[in-house]
Amino acid sequence: MIEFDNVSLSFGKRIILDKMSFRAEFYEKIAVLGGSGEGKTTLLKLILGLLNPDSGRILIDGRDITVLSESEMRESRMKFSIVFQEGALFDSMNVYENVAFSLREYSALPEEEIEAQVRELLAKLDLEHAIYHMPEELSGGMQRRVAIARSLSGCKPLMMLYDEATTGLDPLTADNICQLINELAAGESPQRLGFIIVTHKVTDAVKVADRYMYLRQGKIAFDGDLSALKLTADPELAKFVEELHYCIS
Amino acid sequence: MNIKQNIARLQDFYLLSIRAPLGIFKRPFYFKEIFEQMDYAGTGSLFIVILVSLFIGMAMSMQISAELAPMGLKMYTGKTVGISIIREIGPVLTALIYAGRVGSGMASELGSMTLGHQVDILRVHGVNPINKLVTPRLISSLVMLPALTVVGDAVSLFGGYYVAVFVSNQSGSFYWSQIRDIMDMQNIVSGIVKPYVFGYLIACISCYVGLSTRGGARGLRKATTSAVVYSIIFVIISDLVLTIILFKLMGFSI
Repeated sequence: MIEFDNVSLSFGKRIILDKMSFRAEFYEKIAVLGGSGEGKTTLLKLILGLLNPDSGRILIDGRDITVLSESEMRESRMKFSIVFQEGALFDSMNVYENVAFSLREYSALPEEEIEAQVRELLAKLDLEHAIYHMPEELSGGMQRRVAIARSLSGCKPLMMLYDEATTGLDPLTADNICQLINELAAGESPQRLGFIIVTHKVTDAVKVADRYMYLRQGKIAFDGDLSALKLTADPELAKFVEELHYCIS
Repeated sequence: MNIKQNIARLQDFYLLSIRAPLGIFKRPFYFKEIFEQMDYAGTGSLFIVILVSLFIGMAMSMQISAELAPMGLKMYTGKTVGISIIREIGPVLTALIYAGRVGSGMASELGSMTLGHQVDILRVHGVNPINKLVTPRLISSLVMLPALTVVGDAVSLFGGYYVAVFVSNQSGSFYWSQIRDIMDMQNIVSGIVKPYVFGYLIACISCYVGLSTRGGARGLRKATTSAVVYSIIFVIISDLVLTIILFKLMGFSI
């Protein structure tokens, strides 16, 4: 379980998170919505311990990660896998090397075994044809899929973290990524691989999530399911989800 | 930026400067990255170091020869040029070229990786960014900057020789005999210790600035500029400090 307990974080004078508190199970399918600069990506980085809050506690399975050292953090980070906006692929490595990265770093597997695992994963994500391509040769959608493949190789995360996974993609490709996210999160809770997707595209969020959180001025302004989201009385959030009503109608 | 943040940044730099050399002895060893960095820093900088050193050597020889000629001492051009190049100009000049070419490259590459979340990905996968990114660049600088300095010194001396012999009409064999005379332990140690210190400083400063990049394209531009500016300042300051220390240790008298 993830638990934020009065977490605050500022960058200089800018307040990013202001005494934020929430709880989430690893198997949940959560969409974090909000405008640019509202701290959505920061939230994911805090969960992974890539940033430390100014105050408050972040508990992962009951353990406060804000007091852990970088080496102690590994156990907590292994529970998650992240796909950053635009993939964050290593641009000096080809697709094969990117996906094989963590297997090479942290397993004593022979290269043949690594290759077999990478090929299996790439086949699952329909990327086998691009195995020796460099990241700059890939389309935006393919880069995201390679990033998802890399996030799954060599580890068994309990929860996926997607940072703007569909931003900048055409609607068809974005839809494919949403499908892929749904496939990975298939199954019944509590066994399924849950996720937190950070996005400002409400239409994509509703394709994958069943719990919605809306961030505003460092706080969670809304936390609920789709029906509550549609009926929100908050004028700003109502405007934010306006696009959703057009889609439904 | 407030005092607290400045102290925190200084502390981070200090930790990186300690951890990066310790990474040399820590597994896993990133040999591929080390050789890639050596190729980029060494082979890639060779031409510019040769070019600049050649012209500096020629210009110095011309200036010194012109100053010594009225006193009837222009035959000592070789000795003066040699001492200046080996002890001072060679190491500093090569370090400045290295800071401009390689230091800026390190800062912009690591800055781009930081902004593109690639450094975060390393941490998520349990890879220590200092071992993977900084240590190979430090090793490469500790190997390649002294090597480039030796090449730059040699080329400068040849440039000086060309001017002394073909422009100033001096004896070529006397020029080289003077160079041989000054190649004693004091001068060689004095000239070879500096590039190691400069290489360490340039690598640590550039990597630290790169890894602490914030704020998009503008931040990257600032990081690249800062890496070069700080490297140059620290090279110049440490040059004076090293000269004072080496003068004491090697028994030079002023």
